[in-house]
Amino acid sequence: MPRGLTFAQIGITESMIETWADTIWNMSNNVQVRRGDPIRKHEFDRIDAERSDLGMSDGQIAAVLGLTRDQVMAIRSLTEARRFNRRSYFELYELGRGRRFNPARHVPLEARGGFRPDALALRGALKFDARQVTRFIDNGWWTNDTLPGWLSKRAQEMPDRVAVSSPAGDLRYAELRACAERFAEGLHALGIGRGDVVAVQLPNVAEFLVTYLAIARIGAVMSTVHMPYRAAEIGSLLSHARARAFVCLSRTKDYEPAVAALALDPRPPALEYVIALGEPVSGARAFSDVSAGGGTLPVELAPAPADPFLLLFTSGTSASPKAVPLTSQATLGNARMGGAEHCLTADDIVLSAAPLTHLFGLYSFHLATSVGAANLLLPVFAPSDFAKSIATSRPTVLFAGPAHFAAMLKTGLLDSTDLSSVRLVICSGSACPPELARAVAAKLPNGKFSQLWGMTETQAGLYTRPGDSIDLAAVSAGRPSPGTEVRITDPDGSPLPAGEEGELQVRGSLMFPGYYDNDKANAQAFAEDGWFRSGDLALLDPEGNVRITGRIKDVINRGGVKYNPRDIEDLLDAHPQVLQAAIVPVPDPVLGERACCVIVVRGDSAPTLDALCAWLLERGIARTKLPERLEVVAEMPLTPTRKIIKGRLLEAIARN
Amino acid sequence: MSEKRDETALANAEAAKTKILEYCRRKGALAVGVADLEAINLVAPPGHRPGDILPNVRSVISIGVGGQTQGAWSVPSKAFAYFGSTEGRGYSVAYGCSFFIENAFRARSVYCPPDMDPDGGARIPLQSLKLHAELAGIGARSLAGDILLHPEFGYMYYASVFTELWLPPDQPLETNPCPAPSCVDMHRKTGQTPCMTFCPVQCLSGDIDENGQQAEMRYEMSKCAEMSQQYEAMPQMLGEAIGARDAEARERKLLDPDNALLWYKMSVGSGGLLAQCFECMRVCPIATRAPLADPIRRANAADAKAQG
Repeated sequence: MPRGLTFAQIGITESMIETWADTIWNMSNNVQVRRGDPIRKHEFDRIDAERSDLGMSDGQIAAVLGLTRDQVMAIRSLTEARRFNRRSYFELYELGRGRRFNPARHVPLEARGGFRPDALALRGALKFDARQVTRFIDNGWWTNDTLPGWLSKRAQEMPDRVAVSSPAGDLRYAELRACAERFAEGLHALGIGRGDVVAVQLPNVAEFLVTYLAIARIGAVMSTVHMPYRAAEIGSLLSHARARAFVCLSRTKDYEPAVAALALDPRPPALEYVIALGEPVSGARAFSDVSAGGGTLPVELAPAPADPFLLLFTSGTSASPKAVPLTSQATLGNARMGGAEHCLTADDIVLSAAPLTHLFGLYSFHLATSVGAANLLLPVFAPSDFAKSIATSRPTVLFAGPAHFAAMLKTGLLDSTDLSSVRLVICSGSACPPELARAVAAKLPNGKFSQLWGMTETQAGLYTRPGDSIDLAAVSAGRPSPGTEVRITDPDGSPLPAGEEGELQVRGSLMFPGYYDNDKANAQAFAEDGWFRSGDLALLDPEGNVRITGRIKDVINRGGVKYNPRDIEDLLDAHPQVLQAAIVPVPDPVLGERACCVIVVRGDSAPTLDALCAWLLERGIARTKLPERLEVVAEMPLTPTRKIIKGRLLEAIARN
Repeated sequence: MSEKRDETALANAEAAKTKILEYCRRKGALAVGVADLEAINLVAPPGHRPGDILPNVRSVISIGVGGQTQGAWSVPSKAFAYFGSTEGRGYSVAYGCSFFIENAFRARSVYCPPDMDPDGGARIPLQSLKLHAELAGIGARSLAGDILLHPEFGYMYYASVFTELWLPPDQPLETNPCPAPSCVDMHRKTGQTPCMTFCPVQCLSGDIDENGQQAEMRYEMSKCAEMSQQYEAMPQMLGEAIGARDAEARERKLLDPDNALLWYKMSVGSGGLLAQCFECMRVCPIATRAPLADPIRRANAADAKAQG
């Protein structure tokens, strides 16, 4: 109060303040208007006439309003204090280094978007071991990697280098960045923001990568939906992910994903937009409209490396899907270090047979982008298209699964395709039968064959290096990637020495933090001391190479005698009349389980069960491990990375 | 005889003025002038006239010292908020000048307090240093909230000396350097000058007439003050903390990162609580690119002059 006087002494009441506050505010120096240049020109009459516009002193205001000076001063001070926004200077933090305030780009702090509750819940699901995180940072395994950061760097350093090459044409790094920026603007205009999930079901086309980069650009999260999935699976995944938008094709050769998504019943609770690539779909946004962009992206939409940017589903579309949230830090760190280990360079042309909806496909893209290599896209894998792409575009690095190569082998394309441009094959998706590995390696006059083991939860955990011999690469998944630790444990969780088979467990900077919204799965997935239980059986050799020997759940329990059928499957795969083999347990009232052999025939005639058993006996397999039933199928049920889904085989056998 | 005495007095006053101006320039002033006291009294409201500080004042000397260095204009704006360091230099010159006048001419003198009027609120100055400088001819009001600009020195800090010694007054600048021709062009195309466009709180607006002269200047001081005047934040912060719903909220009100910064500044006695953002000046062609606007330009000009 003026001179320490109280309201009562001055004669101020709240109603007085309400009455006079606006008037005093406007008459005081807060708003000043000067016409012409009267002081410099000594236009004193004009100054007097317009004095009130220059702002009045408290005494002058008091004289005009019929209040005392003290009353004006008290009301003015109080009004200023109440109206003063003391955090405006935060705007300054974004200025400097040539950046100037631009009202067209400016979004006031209070109007800036934030994480929605669903996005915050997903962000909150990222809980890492604090001590481990310190190690990851100290060792440089986690840095400030983000996809938009990488893309900007590439676009700046090598704007004219081809980033994406597809049947639709080439996109150079600068063009790719511009496309992603525009699509990001389009998504932002729809209200998609940080932490929001955008589901994507697209084949390996440039638009997939543009969408992915745009989602990452605004700090949102991409969740992929595999191309074969239909309404039931789409609905389940979109609901679990709380996806706000779904980007898909208008039409495939036998399905209309956009129409199906719009008709989902029940509708996924968070789903607001279906964005259709292709012909117009009523009720859906056109991909072309969103990609036209418009407006500008506010600064706060810059992605944070520690935030989630991917939400991938491991398998299954049951009532309890296993959703894996991944941060840029962990995921891109794994790829950045992988690029060096695989000896990738900006001169490479990378072709992946795996779909981009799967982590293996994304890993190939991450690797290529980390070094500025070109991504050669194959929309959908077919052996002939794969062979044609290799022949015409001359890729230097191939990413494919054993089943892709098996299909090439079956069709004769492995022999007829010129693989001289290929300097590295990275094979993953499932353990590669040694004979197949050797067959592929033999076709590489200038290249090396390597195996990679990974899971959605772990990314690239193990791989052989380009310098390793085929003798190792044919049978081993190699050594841990940088920042990764592995151990082999017995069923009780105790570590086993080299040479003993047990469960492969993993931890390190590559790891996911836990399944999103699935406590039951998390309880099963992690050992008490925090190691991730992969569910894979493996052996460690003295040099630290890991050989994957099977899946724990695939173990056959024949009357209490347990054995891993993987060796048998490898031997059957090498049988001249067998293209692909799988051993699955079938229920038996006496022994509990018996082994059933399921095969896809190579050639015209199927072998008999006796012939297969003789083949196995000749190769030293114990009689107790021989399959006791044979099923011939036209083709195996495969995952998107063409791994055999044994669960579906069992269902089919049960039906038979 | 009387006329001769007057002539002698005038000559003495001119000589005194020359000595005083030389003193100020020697001590670092870029520009010095004497304001017309009568004109000041016609413009300044009662309570804010020089006579309210020094009752028998006869002259007001205005001193301008260099504004920012060329480097300072290029720092990030959050750092620039703490660059108001040269104003103290102006006050030093004025302080010394008042001592010099009393010592040399035996006339009472005082350096004009640059502070707010404790009886008038947080944004009411005791005296308008701006008015003194404008009438002394060492600056003219700009469209950027009446910040004074000089055609040669650009943006300066000002200080004033009141003295009972009579000195012949100077005249205001003949022409106002603001708006610069480039700003006139921009205003005609966009309706805004650079200072208006780039103000983070959009506190500036105005018009330019057909002759390229200022027609109207509009300035919202409260918006401008919100950018930096953190002293007003302190009581507000405490008020919010008192009204917090629980202990956790109270702690957050007191110790969130922004508030913690204020406590830090108080605890170390930082003088950086009162800076403006000066984005308007950073984009002003006169403030930053006048011929002698910064030490580099002044040194270059001195070199050029020395080389003939």
